[in-house]
Amino acid sequence: MNPAKTAHPAAGRLVVGRGTVAFVVRRRSAVVGAVLVVLTAVAAVVSLGVGSTFVAPPDVLRALAGDGPFTVVVQNLRLPRITVGLAVGALLGLSGALLQSISRNPLAGPDVVGVTQGAGLAATFAMTAGLGTVWLGAGALLGGLAAAAAVFVLSFRYGLAAHRFVLCGIAVALAVRALTEVIIVSGDPMEGQRAQVWLAGSLAGLGYAEARVLLVPLLVLLPVLLWAGRAMDTTALDDDVARGLGVRVVGRRVALGAVAVLLAALATSQAGAVDFVALAAPQLARRLVRAERPPLACAALTGALLTVVADLVARTAFAPVQLPVGVLTAALGGPYLLWLLVRRKKA
Amino acid sequence: MRGRRLAVVAACAALLVAAAMASLAAGSRGIAPGHVVDALLRPDGGEESAIVRSMRLPRTVTGLAVGAGLALAGVLMQALTRNPLAEPRLMGVTSGASLGVVVAISVFGLTTLPAYVWFGIAGAAVSGTFVYALAARTRDGASPVTLALAGTALDASLTGVVVGVLTVNAQTFDTYRFWAVGSLAGRPAEVALWVLPFVAAGAVLAFAAARGLDAVALGDDVARGLGRDVGRVRLLAAVAAVVLTGAAVAAAGPIGFVGLAVPHLARGLVGADHRWVLAVSLLLGPALLLVADVLGRLVVPPAEVRAGVVTALLGAPFLILLVRRGRTVTA
Repeated sequence: MNPAKTAHPAAGRLVVGRGTVAFVVRRRSAVVGAVLVVLTAVAAVVSLGVGSTFVAPPDVLRALAGDGPFTVVVQNLRLPRITVGLAVGALLGLSGALLQSISRNPLAGPDVVGVTQGAGLAATFAMTAGLGTVWLGAGALLGGLAAAAAVFVLSFRYGLAAHRFVLCGIAVALAVRALTEVIIVSGDPMEGQRAQVWLAGSLAGLGYAEARVLLVPLLVLLPVLLWAGRAMDTTALDDDVARGLGVRVVGRRVALGAVAVLLAALATSQAGAVDFVALAAPQLARRLVRAERPPLACAALTGALLTVVADLVARTAFAPVQLPVGVLTAALGGPYLLWLLVRRKKA
Repeated sequence: MRGRRLAVVAACAALLVAAAMASLAAGSRGIAPGHVVDALLRPDGGEESAIVRSMRLPRTVTGLAVGAGLALAGVLMQALTRNPLAEPRLMGVTSGASLGVVVAISVFGLTTLPAYVWFGIAGAAVSGTFVYALAARTRDGASPVTLALAGTALDASLTGVVVGVLTVNAQTFDTYRFWAVGSLAGRPAEVALWVLPFVAAGAVLAFAAARGLDAVALGDDVARGLGRDVGRVRLLAAVAAVVLTGAAVAAAGPIGFVGLAVPHLARGLVGADHRWVLAVSLLLGPALLLVADVLGRLVVPPAEVRAGVVTALLGAPFLILLVRRGRTVTA
C-alpha cells in the first residue's frame, strides 16, 4: 500500500491513507514518535550491553547480527528479557492512554482502578493452586477484568462520577491485595513466596514465550487500536455534543475501557505488577506531543522506553542485588502522581 | 441525649471487654473463658496459664494500644482536614512511619524499641505534613479524592522505597520483618509497655483539643468568632494524631481502616461532639482491631492472617459504602 499524503487544511497535519482508512497525523506526533523510537532503540542497546558481563554498544550490534564473541550473552540471555520489557511497557502505555482518555482524568490508570491487583489475585490463586503457567495468564486476564467490572458496578450510581470511580478503585485495590495475602498465607509457603516475587513485578527469567503471549494479542488488537485512536476524538468531546454527532457514548466508552483493561491484565499476567508506567507514559507522551488527550502510539513507545530504562536501573544500580523493576517504578511513580496532583492546580 | 450517649459508651465498653476476652481465649489452642480468668487472676504455672500470660496477654494489650491510637488519630485527621476519608493509612501516614522505622534500622543501625517509636513518630509527622500540604496546594483543595490519591501515591512510593531497602539490605530485612508488617503477632510484653505511654499522651492531647475541634468544624472564621485559637487547636490535634499514628505503627506496622471506620461509626452513635466521638472511638478502635486479629487467627488455621489484612477486607466495603452515600463524600 502506498499511503497518499496530502496537505490537510490545518497546518502541521498530514492525512495518511484514503477513504475509510484515512488517518490524520499531526506532524509533531510523527516527529516525537520517531525520536521515541530512536531513544527506545538506544536504551535497548545499552541495556543489552550492561550486566555481569559488559558489552560495548558496537559489539552489541554485531552480536545482534549473530557475529562476535558475545552472541550468546546478548541474544540468548538479555534479548528475551528486554523484548518482554518493551512489550510490557507498550501494553501498559496503551492501556493507560485509553483509560485516561475515556475517563478524561490524567490520574486514571490500571493500577489505580484495581486491574493490576485483580490480575495479581487471580494469578496468585492459579499459582498456589498449582494450575500451571497457562492458567496463570488466563487467570490474570479474568481477574483484571473482574476487578475492573467490580469497580465499575460499585461506583455506578446515577451515572459514573469520576471521584466515585477513583475512590471505589482504591477501595477495591486494597481489598483485593488483602485477599491475595490471605491466599498466600493459607497456601504452601514455597508457592506463596514464588507468588510474592511475581507480584513485585519483575522481568527476571522472562523470555520469548512470555513475549509471544504479549505481542500476539497486541497484533490482533491493532485494528481495534487504530479504530480507538479515532474513536477517542469523539469520546473526548462533551457527552451531549458527541451524542449529537450520533455517537453511542456509553457503549463506546465501555468498549474502549474493556480493551484498556485487557491490555493491562495481559501485561500483568506475564510480568506482575509494574506500577505507574501506565499512569506516567500517556501523560509524558501527551506533553511531548502537546495534544489534549494522550496519543496512543506515542504512549506505547514512552511506556516501552520507561520500562526498559527502569529495568536497566533496577538490575544494575544495586548490583549484585537485582531489584524487581516494579519496586523501582512504584518508588518513582508515586512522586510523579503527586506532582500531577499539584500541577492540576494550574490546569 | 446524655443518657443515650452514656448507654452507647457502656455498650462499647462491654464490646471491648468481650473482644479482649476473645483475643485471650482464641487461637490455635482454644482456651475456655473461665480458664482465661483463672490464668489472669490465679496463675497455676500450667500450660494454659503460660499461653495466656506470656503470649496472648501482650498481644491483646498491644492490640488495645494500637487500636486506640489508630481510631483516635482517624478522628483527629477527619476533623483537621474536614475530610470524611482522612485516615492514617489512606493518607500515607502509616507508610511514612514504616519508612521511619526502616531508616532507624538501616541507616542508624538502631534496633531498640524506643528508637522505633521515635523514628515512627518522625516519619508519620513528615509524611502527614507532606501529603496534607500537597493536597492543599492542588486545584480543588484537600478534597476527598485529591487527599486519597495523594495518600495512595505517597503510600505506593514509600512502600516501594521500603521494599527496595529491604531487598538490598538483608540484615535490615531480618530485623524489620518482625516489626512493621501490620500484625499483632509475636510482640513481646515490652512493646505494649513502650507504646502505651505514647498512646496515653496522644489521647490526652486529643481530648484537650476536642472542644476546639467542635468549633473548627464550623469553619475557621466561626471558630475565631467563638474565641478559639484556631492555630493552637490545629497544632494540638496534629501533634496528637502524629504521636498516635507513629506509636501505633512502631508497635504493629501499617494497619488501615480502623481509623476510617471507627470515627464514622462513633459519629453515627453519639453525634458530632468530639469529646463523645473520641470517647467512643477509644473503646471501639481496640475492639475492632482485636476482633480483626481474632478472625485472622481463625480463618485459615494453622496459618495466621495479619490483623492489617483483615481490617482491609472489612474496611474496603465500608469505604465503598461511604463513597456511594453521596452526601458524605463529594467530588
